[in-house]
Amino acid sequence: MFSDSLIILKKELKRIFTDRRMVIMLVLVPLIMLPAMYSIMAKMGQARDSDIASFRSTICIYEGTGNEDVMGPFIDALSSFNTSLELVQLEELDAVKQAITDKEKELLLVMPDNFHESLASCSTFDIAIYFNSTADYSDYACNRVIEALTVLSEDIVRERILERDMSEEVLSVFTINEAPIQYDLAKKGSVVGKIISIILPFFIILYLLINSMNVGLDTVAGEKERGTLALILVNQVDRLSIVIGKMMSVMIAAIVGAASSVVGLIIASKYFMGMFGASGAAISSYSMSSIHILQFTIVVIPLAVLVASMVLIVSTYARNTKEGNGMMMPIYFVVMIVGMATMQTGDVPPKWMLSTPVFNSLLVLKDIFMQDAAWSTIIAASLSSVVLSAVFIYLTLKMFSKEKILFRI
Amino acid sequence: MLKVENLCKVFKNKKKHKAETVEAVRDVSFECSPGEIFGLLGPNGAGKTTTLRCISTLIKPTNGNVYIDSYNVLEDGKTIRSRIGFLTSDMKLDGFFTPDYMVDYFGALNKMRKENIQQRKEYLFNELQMNDFIHKKIDKLSTGMKQKTAIAISLIHDPEVIVFDEPTNGLDVITSKSVTDFLKKYAESGKTIVISTHMMNVAEKLCDRFGILVDGELKELGSLKEILDNNSSDSLEDVFFGYILPPAEGEVNHVQ
Ligand SMILES: Nc1ncnc2c1ncn2[C@@H]1O[C@H](COP(=O)(O)OP(=O)(O)OP(=O)(O)O)[C@@H](O)[C@H]1O
Ligand SMILES: [Mg+2]
Repeated sequence: MFSDSLIILKKELKRIFTDRRMVIMLVLVPLIMLPAMYSIMAKMGQARDSDIASFRSTICIYEGTGNEDVMGPFIDALSSFNTSLELVQLEELDAVKQAITDKEKELLLVMPDNFHESLASCSTFDIAIYFNSTADYSDYACNRVIEALTVLSEDIVRERILERDMSEEVLSVFTINEAPIQYDLAKKGSVVGKIISIILPFFIILYLLINSMNVGLDTVAGEKERGTLALILVNQVDRLSIVIGKMMSVMIAAIVGAASSVVGLIIASKYFMGMFGASGAAISSYSMSSIHILQFTIVVIPLAVLVASMVLIVSTYARNTKEGNGMMMPIYFVVMIVGMATMQTGDVPPKWMLSTPVFNSLLVLKDIFMQDAAWSTIIAASLSSVVLSAVFIYLTLKMFSKEKILFRI
Repeated sequence: MLKVENLCKVFKNKKKHKAETVEAVRDVSFECSPGEIFGLLGPNGAGKTTTLRCISTLIKPTNGNVYIDSYNVLEDGKTIRSRIGFLTSDMKLDGFFTPDYMVDYFGALNKMRKENIQQRKEYLFNELQMNDFIHKKIDKLSTGMKQKTAIAISLIHDPEVIVFDEPTNGLDVITSKSVTDFLKKYAESGKTIVISTHMMNVAEKLCDRFGILVDGELKELGSLKEILDNNSSDSLEDVFFGYILPPAEGEVNHVQ
């Protein structure tokens, strides 16, 4: 019986793998798509970092009355990084604040009137820094200004101490994080890893679905539509062997697609990441190791089989590919929503998601890209895909022996 | 010898919550001997396709049976299939493959040995004058060439019974003639051929015996002469229309 299926399988595979369009979809697309997505995202992350650092922010200063003679050190401190300074008048303050809200200017420093007196008498005065936390540039400039002013403050204190003939060592009580070691204990996944972990599972499920629809809808529904199914049924090969052969071809196509995406992932993490390694520490820290690629494989292959078996049920029931496509639409949307939902879930997804096939695979894929997946969840996701596929395959076999379904009008 | 005996086929359709049963074929019986072409005539929805599908084991009769020699479709599906070539003209072969490949494929599906497939292929390709295009993709072929390919496919295992649903549907006069000529020649070599059609002119030229099927019931059965004599008519078409059109007012019967 198996040899009968092989006759069918051989022909179906020839159909799939000598069709240029199909081969491009199954093999080339993931090989190109994954590295491309990686490099785009890495570039974006990198560009954003360097862009902020090289941006020339506009800092407005209101000097306060009577402070002309003591502003020098403050202006110098603020000029120590890439800024353009603007002195503004009292009546302009509201306009400048609005400009900061509108992200046209980055910062406004308001010095108190006559703070030179406080300076002379060693009493504390308050400098107001207006900023916009929703603007990356403003946020960044604010931090740099506070840093610069803190240094200035320390310098002034140092002078005062020296004037009083004390050792400047009293100034420093302790230092923080000065030893040359890694203090950041965040998980290895970087910003780029996070973006990838959110977006890639979604793309992968979409890709698997499109592949299976391309291959699987034609194999049964397409044959019904063309009327050739009857021709195949009037032969010495029984219906079970026919459906098994067709099924295997769709599964193999799905697995080839999934395997190509594994290879695409390897290429992406090995070569593209290396290219950025020198420039961005955050990016180079994100690279899939062989263990993560193994985990990816364990999850994605059964997922591909599950998607394929889902498509096969529809293909067997539908009268033609058009109807099959129509029936796939709700499934398509559910999968899209599932994909979106996994983008949304925080660090701890709700329990029901973890025990729902497809959902759990996507969540685990996300964890794998964050290099933070537990083996138990990996196995659970993989097994649930296998079990559900088995159910779907059984249903397809049953359906194939029903003339009501094969010759539905 | 093909024998259809009291064939009944009932379809149960569920449409909008109420179950509906369609008696597509009701108590149909006929025979067809080797060397003979039997024509199943009927309007759309008469049950022709359903009858032919029952004969070729694609669907199971609700009642009755179909015999080829001592085998029947209910018990010996596989043997029946080895003796039947089934063909419909509204079928479109996958344009991706070549006729040569498809014929090989169907030979394999019929469990033929490689040498046998090769021999038979050569015979059919010559007979159907296909040699010019057997290595071209089916996509690139004309309708007539596709039809020939389909015929070669369904005859690869040298079946003794050929079941052909609407053989000339959608073909131009020339292609249609080449198909009917081929069928005639094939019947003369001792094969049993059953076709369905709603085209009287085709049937009259091609078939030795006829069955007129209307609403699932066989209204007439016999040779052209028998049917015409029975109805005191001089054209098969008149007899046919007599069944499917309501009699015009004042007209009592077909006698003038
Ligand atoms: N699989 C099916 N399920 C339900 N009803 C069916 C099925 N196949 C055929 N029928 C019904 O049985 C009747 C006979 O259909 P059939 O296709 O045999 O007619 P036909 O003579 O071949 O017509 P045509 O000339 O249009 O091909 C029709 O009323 C049709 O709706
Ligand atoms: Mg029909």
